[in-house]
Amino acid sequence: MKIWTSEHTFNHPWETVAQAAWRKYPNPMNPAVIGTDVVERKVVNGVLHTHRLVSSKWYFPNWAQALIGTAKICYASEKSEVNPSQRQMTLKTSNLTFCRYIAVDETVRYTPHPTDSEKTLLTQEAVVTVQGVPLSSYMEDLLTNKISLNAGKGRQAIEWVIGKLDTEIKEFASSACKSTDELLSQTKKSFDDITSTARRSMDDISSKAKRSLDDIEKFAKDYYIKYWRSMHDAANDNNKDNLPIGYLISAVVTAE
Amino acid sequence: MNSIGEECTELKKQYDDCFNNWFTEKFLKGNHDDSVCAEKFKVYQECVKRAMRQQNIDFKEVDKDVLGTEKEMKAPPQDASS
Repeated sequence: MKIWTSEHTFNHPWETVAQAAWRKYPNPMNPAVIGTDVVERKVVNGVLHTHRLVSSKWYFPNWAQALIGTAKICYASEKSEVNPSQRQMTLKTSNLTFCRYIAVDETVRYTPHPTDSEKTLLTQEAVVTVQGVPLSSYMEDLLTNKISLNAGKGRQAIEWVIGKLDTEIKEFASSACKSTDELLSQTKKSFDDITSTARRSMDDISSKAKRSLDDIEKFAKDYYIKYWRSMHDAANDNNKDNLPIGYLISAVVTAE
Repeated sequence: MNSIGEECTELKKQYDDCFNNWFTEKFLKGNHDDSVCAEKFKVYQECVKRAMRQQNIDFKEVDKDVLGTEKEMKAPPQDASS
């Protein structure tokens, strides 16, 4: 289990950020998200409750696909509450597709900044758990890295959407556009870095695994031959020429 | 943003436009009456539920509590002699 948290301040009032949060997708920073669907929505005591299905396309390395399946489209359940009188927006997301092996639970909160109500504070936490498959801490690290990266992209995405909202209304965004380009190329670069690092450690693990498999195979072979010989000799010593093969095998298996 | 059901995307767009407008102009200003988009929501919902059934997506699985209950997987017992 890994717990990851982060905070960020938007220089926009809470109302602007809350509007942008609903229009977050599609955006160029999270191309993986390919669909959002509202499955339930209601207003209860002035609080808007929404349950959404978020579909995204994930790219796993080949070895991970062997463990968790080749599913490339992943589904997540996102439950949110918007309380306009308290200026609170909370979104909780958990993945659906890998429930059996990997659980990713993420909570995002938008609240007014405690010292400046014209700014908005984003707090974000994610819990990753991997059970039942080998290399779990390695996979947790891989996913936690991905979440950190995506969190950065999510913040840029909110800014991008706010920029777009502003453009729609006031028709200005050329400066924002420029910094978005810079952010995009930065994001692309760090993603490439992580990919190559991950690939390197993957190769490392593969070669180590291969080596230890070879060791086990060799050990097993030596072990079997040694015991088969000793049992064979023992059988010969006792003049039991026609010992059944089952006897030899069980002797090998039960031998200390 | 698209819907998981290709055939629902247009219905979703119409609903989303209605919702975003309602959220900004009504809900954030203290008007909690959400009936203005109710008809568009209903049509879109029927489409999306059908698409979810076709693609075997089920929310029940994720809503179940597992950790802290008897359904939680336990670590295998440690061998005392090793």
